Amino acid sequence: MIDIQNLSFAYAEQAVLSNLSVSVAENEFWAVVGPNGAGKSTFLSLLSGQLTPQAGSLQIEGHSIQDFSTRQLAAKLALVRQEFVPAFGFSVQETVLMARFGQKNAFFAQNADIQAVQAALKATDTQDFADRPLGHLSGGERQRVFIARALAQETPVLLLDEPTSHLDLKHQVRIFDLLKQMQCEQGKTILLVTHDINLTCQYCDRVLLLGSEGKSYQGSPREVLDVRHIEETFGVKGYQGHIQQEKFFLPLGQFSKDRPQE
Amino acid sequence: MLTAGKLIARIGIALVILLAVMCLSLLVGKDIDNKLELISISKVVQGIQSEWHYLFSGYHNTADEPPNVDFQIFLYFRLPRVCLAVVIGAALACSGVVFQAILRNPLADPYILGISSGAGLGTMLAVCFGWTFRVAWLGLSPIMACSFAGAMLTVWLVWGIGRITGRQHVTGLLLAGVVVNAFFSAMIMFLSSILDARDLQSTIFRLMGNFQELECPLPVVASALMVLAGTVILTMMGNRLNILSYGSDDARSLGVSVERTSLIAFALAALMTSLAVSLSGLIGFVGLIVPHAVRLVAGPDHRQLIPLSAIVGAAFLVAADAVARVIVPNELLPVGVITALAGGPFFLILLIRYTKSIHWGRA
Repeated sequence: MIDIQNLSFAYAEQAVLSNLSVSVAENEFWAVVGPNGAGKSTFLSLLSGQLTPQAGSLQIEGHSIQDFSTRQLAAKLALVRQEFVPAFGFSVQETVLMARFGQKNAFFAQNADIQAVQAALKATDTQDFADRPLGHLSGGERQRVFIARALAQETPVLLLDEPTSHLDLKHQVRIFDLLKQMQCEQGKTILLVTHDINLTCQYCDRVLLLGSEGKSYQGSPREVLDVRHIEETFGVKGYQGHIQQEKFFLPLGQFSKDRPQE
Repeated sequence: MLTAGKLIARIGIALVILLAVMCLSLLVGKDIDNKLELISISKVVQGIQSEWHYLFSGYHNTADEPPNVDFQIFLYFRLPRVCLAVVIGAALACSGVVFQAILRNPLADPYILGISSGAGLGTMLAVCFGWTFRVAWLGLSPIMACSFAGAMLTVWLVWGIGRITGRQHVTGLLLAGVVVNAFFSAMIMFLSSILDARDLQSTIFRLMGNFQELECPLPVVASALMVLAGTVILTMMGNRLNILSYGSDDARSLGVSVERTSLIAFALAALMTSLAVSLSGLIGFVGLIVPHAVRLVAGPDHRQLIPLSAIVGAAFLVAADAVARVIVPNELLPVGVITALAGGPFFLILLIRYTKSIHWGRA
């Protein structure tokens, strides 16, 4: 589905990604994790065509990303960022409906658009506040609306940049459940940038761990999110255990009660 | 959800309000003793019939009758003034909506990027060089041309500086506008200090926002056509402007070509503002208040916000001009004073009335 070969990108003199190769298969749920400044958001911006790679190739369904126009790319990839309140008081329904207008020249919504919006609102359980302004919702509700907008875009791939970073535990789990449901029921391919290692272990099929100086690991969460890799990449010691099938990681610092033994 | 029926109905209601305000403004005025006076509708109708007859037969059938003063006031003073107010009001309100959308800033108005100071500098330079005559057959003076050129050059300069700051250039644009505005304002102050006192007074009066009498309808008709075309094109871009409100990253990922959309909308809005400023000076608040007032009543959807703002802006300026004509005895107030005085409280009332149902979001 997405094929990345020897991708490199640098801001001025600062190399962020170097020689990165990743192959994302259809219907996989990927997490991109790593410390701040490792290039997670840059990676997503490159994928969504907001930035142009300085070296390497980036292909979607066998075609180079540079060959797609903005509209064509919007038919392949939908982007969800951290939730925010837009400058003007658009309602939930208006927000989701906008996903239908970027790719075509229609002035009014057609029946197909209205049906797609209704389906997206239903899937994200946001239909109850369809007429409320976006600014009147909680952060978690708003994030679900932005996911609904991405669903209404009807793309095979969903890209999400830290969608749960401002949310409480309940809403974090709810968003991950929703994404898993989209993967299983609608066959979406999902790439998600996140800081949450434990939710990544529980929900994702594959992980890309971006470290400093262009070093990276990829594979299943069990292989990649190993205590040694985490320590090396983040410079944080901690305790790793198992629940039933998957690992979990508890970061421990110098002054934490159960501080790590030297 | 906006449907064709809803849009047409709302535009229809707004047009009816505009027509009513225009009719009232055409009739109301002051007599010689500064008393409020309505000119006689029957006289106006009679005048129109007479002109109609003259158009086909080539002679006046009322040659023996006393001159129809009411009709002459209507035709030569009120009608051009009201038409000019309609064009300027529509241009300013429409471009206000567009600047707010592109800059994603509810505080933006048509003058935010320095168009006002550019036009002001153009006017000042024209006065300094003594280009104050009028080209009668065109109905224009070099002052207007210089004012228009100053406004357009400023926009081009600000857009160019903003572009240097990169793709996400909303903040860069705003800062470039602030810098250019400050620089040109300083130059205006410098020129005012060396200008002759009488020239200075007339120039300041012109900059304050005024409907001068244009001897020839050509500039008004040409501007009206341009403003109408601009409003229609911008309305057609309504969906893309809606999407742009969510930021350039979101807009691009939804399939909108952010650079092209911003450039077209920006160029049209700048052209309309420059036209308005060169014809009538700086009329404040219309471009800020009218878009917000319409947004509070009809919602933020640009597909209806743009045409409705244009119509309401026109009605607001026609009404403000009527008030400016009659409110102070023996004086013709600059209409900019009225829009600022009336606009502020009017906006506050709307804000208090509707604030519970709307969220302004992050600028």
